[in-house]
Amino acid sequence: MNTDVEELLRDGMERFTAGVQAPAGLAHAASRLRRRRLAVRAAVACGTAAVTAAAVVAVAAGAGGGPAQTGPTVSRVHTTAYVISRVERALVGQHLVLHGRVSGVWGPSNAWTYGPRNRFEELTGSDCGHASPNGGCTHRGGSEPYLAVGTALIGGKLTGVYVTYYNHRWSQLPEGSIPSSACSQTGALGMAGPSIPTSNWPAFIRATLACGAATVTGHAPIDGVETVRITGSPVTVKLPPGEARAVREKWVRSRWTLYVNPQTYLPVRVSGSSRTFGGPAPSTYSTSVTDMRWLPPTAANIAQTLITIPAGFQQVSSPADQ
Amino acid sequence: MAHDRKAGELDRFLAERADQLMRTAVLLTGSREAGQDLLQTALERLLRHWRTLEGDPEAYLRRTLYNLATDGYRRQGRLRRKLLLLRAQTQPPVDPTAEVDLRDALVRMLLQLPSRQRAVLVLRYWEQLTEAEIAAVLGWPEGTVKSAASRGLRRLRELAEGWHQTELDNTELRGQRA
Repeated sequence: MNTDVEELLRDGMERFTAGVQAPAGLAHAASRLRRRRLAVRAAVACGTAAVTAAAVVAVAAGAGGGPAQTGPTVSRVHTTAYVISRVERALVGQHLVLHGRVSGVWGPSNAWTYGPRNRFEELTGSDCGHASPNGGCTHRGGSEPYLAVGTALIGGKLTGVYVTYYNHRWSQLPEGSIPSSACSQTGALGMAGPSIPTSNWPAFIRATLACGAATVTGHAPIDGVETVRITGSPVTVKLPPGEARAVREKWVRSRWTLYVNPQTYLPVRVSGSSRTFGGPAPSTYSTSVTDMRWLPPTAANIAQTLITIPAGFQQVSSPADQ
Repeated sequence: MAHDRKAGELDRFLAERADQLMRTAVLLTGSREAGQDLLQTALERLLRHWRTLEGDPEAYLRRTLYNLATDGYRRQGRLRRKLLLLRAQTQPPVDPTAEVDLRDALVRMLLQLPSRQRAVLVLRYWEQLTEAEIAAVLGWPEGTVKSAASRGLRRLRELAEGWHQTELDNTELRGQRA
């Protein structure tokens, strides 16, 4: 009987798969799928730009909220306001350049911000990080630029740009696409991405705190420092039609957490995650951890906060064409 | 040292092996559509490493297929199996006298097993690998493979006996009606 079942199972498998053939163009389809996933990644990265600032603000609130966690609500509100003012002085008064090193499924990345300037750059990492339509890799090994999102000086004007190095293309980002706080769906979604916000952090933080998009959730040691942990409210967003088609999902749920140094009131880490769901495709799950350093505003550091579009790159009308 | 694979090599590899891999994916997921999704996802991962991949690309792709089937696709697999079972229960046979062959029934029963047991049985009876080879493909201890295979087969036997009993009952019922 046992042998019978095993043989019947073997026969059944043959019958079940008889005539099954792989669809034509499988490699191209997989390659397209990979590019689409990367495109969604890029879209999230674009949306992220100013949102991370909200996290910083929230962190600031968290730093102040530490002692008040067991106290009355009024005390916490006062402390939060105090911390916000400290953060404003820390960020605006010192004019520091923020450098974030990002790790996670996004690939090794760097994020730089200084005032309204910002540059988020994803590198290829040590393996073949992306595929061309013929199945090959566009880069091999090493840390070569893969994509960049941020600001560039074009005609003397600070302009939002999106650059894809693997196909030598770039496009201008539409104005007004950067959210002013993490209160909006776009802003909250962006918080879960890898890039770092750019301008007007205090306003961004104020708005985010005012709408209750984050709460103080305790402390966490980072590099020997007991930081204050601020957790953003998870947000579920319906994907725009284009992205929904690309990942064959309907929704994305994002979470983010911010850590602030209670001595300097500067954020030291932000972590985020996003997961798509609700469609026929497997969920696309992305996580990122950005460790932040605050650097003096030297010419070299400031230069890092701008994207330089390499000569010969072709301009296309929008990031969707990349 | 990483291999510098030519792009055309991938097309040649798929031309030779894609159908067989597609069949495996269909067995792991229970349908052509889901199998195609699984194979495409595994292939997407292969593409990431194509130029730098060392060793046999088929082994890499096969391992990815099975790992996805037992891990990333776990939740979706459960849902898919439920839907398949629901469909099987709610759709009456077109011809009530056309009995389903036990061979076909066994494959449907295979979809009722947990994904890890199913993967092991597909590797054992479709790929015809030994338990040691299965352990190497899945990266599991050999004891885990043995246990999953044993439980999976036991469950299949139980289901097969149930199927036999139902068929006997149906035959008797048809005889009484006649």
